[in-house]
Amino acid sequence: MIFILEDTINGILMGSIYGLTALGLTVIFGVLKVINFAHGSMLMVGMYAAYWAVVLTGLHPYLALVLVVPVMFLFGYFLQDILIKPIFKSEREVREPITVIIVTTGVWYVLDNLTLLIFGPQYRNIQDNPLRGKMLEMGGMLISMPKLWGFFTAILTALAVYWFLQKTRMGRAIRATSLDRDAASLMGINQYRVYNIAFGIGTAAAGIAGATLVPFYNVFPSVGVLFDIKGFIIVVLGGLGSISGAILGGMIIGVIESVGAQFMAATWTEGIVYALFLLVLFVKPSGLFGMRYDW
Amino acid sequence: MRKRSIWGKVYICVLVLGFVSSLAFLIDRTAMAQPKTVKVGNILPLSGPSASVGQQNKYAQDMAIEEINAAGGIKSLGGAKITLLYADSEGKPEKGVAEAERLINTEKVHVLTGCWNSAVTYPTTAVAERYGIPFIVPVSVADKITEQGFKTVFRIAAKDSWWTRDQFVFLSDLQKEFNMKIGTLAFVYENGDWGKGFAGGWKKLAEKGGYKVVLDEPYPSTATDMSPLVQKIKRANPDVLLLVSNAADAILITNTMADYKVKPKAIIASGGGHADPSFLKAAGKNARYIFDIVEWETDVNKPGAKEANEKFKSKYGYNLAGESVDGYVAMYVLADALERAKSLDPKAIRDTLAKTKLTKGPGMIVGYDAVEFDETGQNKYAALVMVQINDIGKGMERISVWPKGARRAGYKPVFPIP
Repeated sequence: MIFILEDTINGILMGSIYGLTALGLTVIFGVLKVINFAHGSMLMVGMYAAYWAVVLTGLHPYLALVLVVPVMFLFGYFLQDILIKPIFKSEREVREPITVIIVTTGVWYVLDNLTLLIFGPQYRNIQDNPLRGKMLEMGGMLISMPKLWGFFTAILTALAVYWFLQKTRMGRAIRATSLDRDAASLMGINQYRVYNIAFGIGTAAAGIAGATLVPFYNVFPSVGVLFDIKGFIIVVLGGLGSISGAILGGMIIGVIESVGAQFMAATWTEGIVYALFLLVLFVKPSGLFGMRYDW
Repeated sequence: MRKRSIWGKVYICVLVLGFVSSLAFLIDRTAMAQPKTVKVGNILPLSGPSASVGQQNKYAQDMAIEEINAAGGIKSLGGAKITLLYADSEGKPEKGVAEAERLINTEKVHVLTGCWNSAVTYPTTAVAERYGIPFIVPVSVADKITEQGFKTVFRIAAKDSWWTRDQFVFLSDLQKEFNMKIGTLAFVYENGDWGKGFAGGWKKLAEKGGYKVVLDEPYPSTATDMSPLVQKIKRANPDVLLLVSNAADAILITNTMADYKVKPKAIIASGGGHADPSFLKAAGKNARYIFDIVEWETDVNKPGAKEANEKFKSKYGYNLAGESVDGYVAMYVLADALERAKSLDPKAIRDTLAKTKLTKGPGMIVGYDAVEFDETGQNKYAALVMVQINDIGKGMERISVWPKGARRAGYKPVFPIP
């Protein structure tokens, strides 16, 4: 039976990383009410940022976060400020602006193809990093060290974002805007600045996810697409806009993938994930941990 | 008044249109006097998960076309130059079909080539057949592509079933050479057309060869975590692991297997992702001792092979992969057919392609002796080479080991994996 435990642990670890990749998506949706289709590309940009930070400076992948997080925050901040804000302004009356979704799809294509153009299609990974290939042996079980680090990073990041939204003045402003953007504006909150910051936080979270993946995963231009689909499922499963929901939703998917694969072909576990996704949409459309109302 | 002014505008429009079209006609006439160009539509996965290999193919074909055009183009057509019109399939069948329609109807191509992914090539060849446009398939290996009864499809590479056949011949040769019995096999393959085609062949051959199959596992190439799969391999504990993978998953499986310390006696891969040059870079020492079956290797003993590889490497920074060589050779096969056809009529090109007998000349750098198509359009002489990835003092490299006649001098394959 030990193998089920081993697989469950692996599933929880990998799932928490999936959750981390989806965290930014859920933050951005919670505030802007926009599904950010470019989120996978943000993750990809984060992975390239982490990759080059490690390759050029020789830092430990997790120390590279010092560089990656501010860079990604600014990237998201200005992406929202320059590209998305003008469309928001012209769609002021709508609660869920569809055109913004189309713009994020455009951003996805541009970013992926720009990366393809600049860095080429090859797969990169960091051959010599202190985490690569490290395994923790525990009572006959093998547990991947980079995934364990990723697990703690995911929990810490989720807690940090949660704390920021609950306890800081800016966080309160973000929550107010998310509840009712017009009322928040009347209270003197600059909603566009709040959007910029929310987008920045979402992108920075994608950057953190990128840095946790780089020690054991490949970096290539279309890598975001693989995590994108998972991200959407996780976010719907956990409840759109819910931070704990993203991490828990990720873990559920991780465990299904890891344990399920021992009893059936890996192809079928994808089927189970999608079936669960549909079931949640039917039974509890707000997601397993989502509230009927936002925040 | 109003009505009249509209009619006036219409009149002017008609005049302008007439003028422009007569001008276009004139330009067209003058263009006729220029040497012709042969338009070749080339559908490849230039973005999406197969972009890396698609790009390699593009480079190889660009290089061949450059060489052919620099050597004076197609002489029987007054020095006609060949141009490749690229279309991106993104590895998706529906995109491939749409692009083929566009290339034929809008760009008026004379010949089509592509599409790397078998799943894309299969429906796309049907479009070419409908319009009677010859379709040269350099690499897509699914058997069914040349088994549709089509007249316009010509494939350079050996087909799927020949790959699995050669893998099992290699397996029995290996047991004889090392005097060691192999009893159990594990099949792990991507769950697309390509992987399933291989697995079907393996199952029949394993039954015939008296091997026991302990794991038969299709997996999605897009999987983000390979540890569940690797755990399954570890628990099945096979003597030999047979793999069909694209590049990203090949790298991930190899690295994850090293993490979990999974060591079968031998790992036999099937080209594709394992033959992608970025595989060696990204898997590094974890790739050591993997056997891989391919069409071609840089150390193959053929005139021009070394030079072509060096040129490619200095131009694009990679060694020629087997699939790139098929793309490269395909362009020379096309040039040879055009030279004999003396016409740009697709039907004439098809008929001369069917009579191809290419044995030497620039471009014939493949490991086997001739390119000649049977009645289904399959190159009957295509054959395969088994290589082993190993470091013998010059970094990780691919070393030809089988058939024994093609083995690199002085190298003895490592079996079982230490």
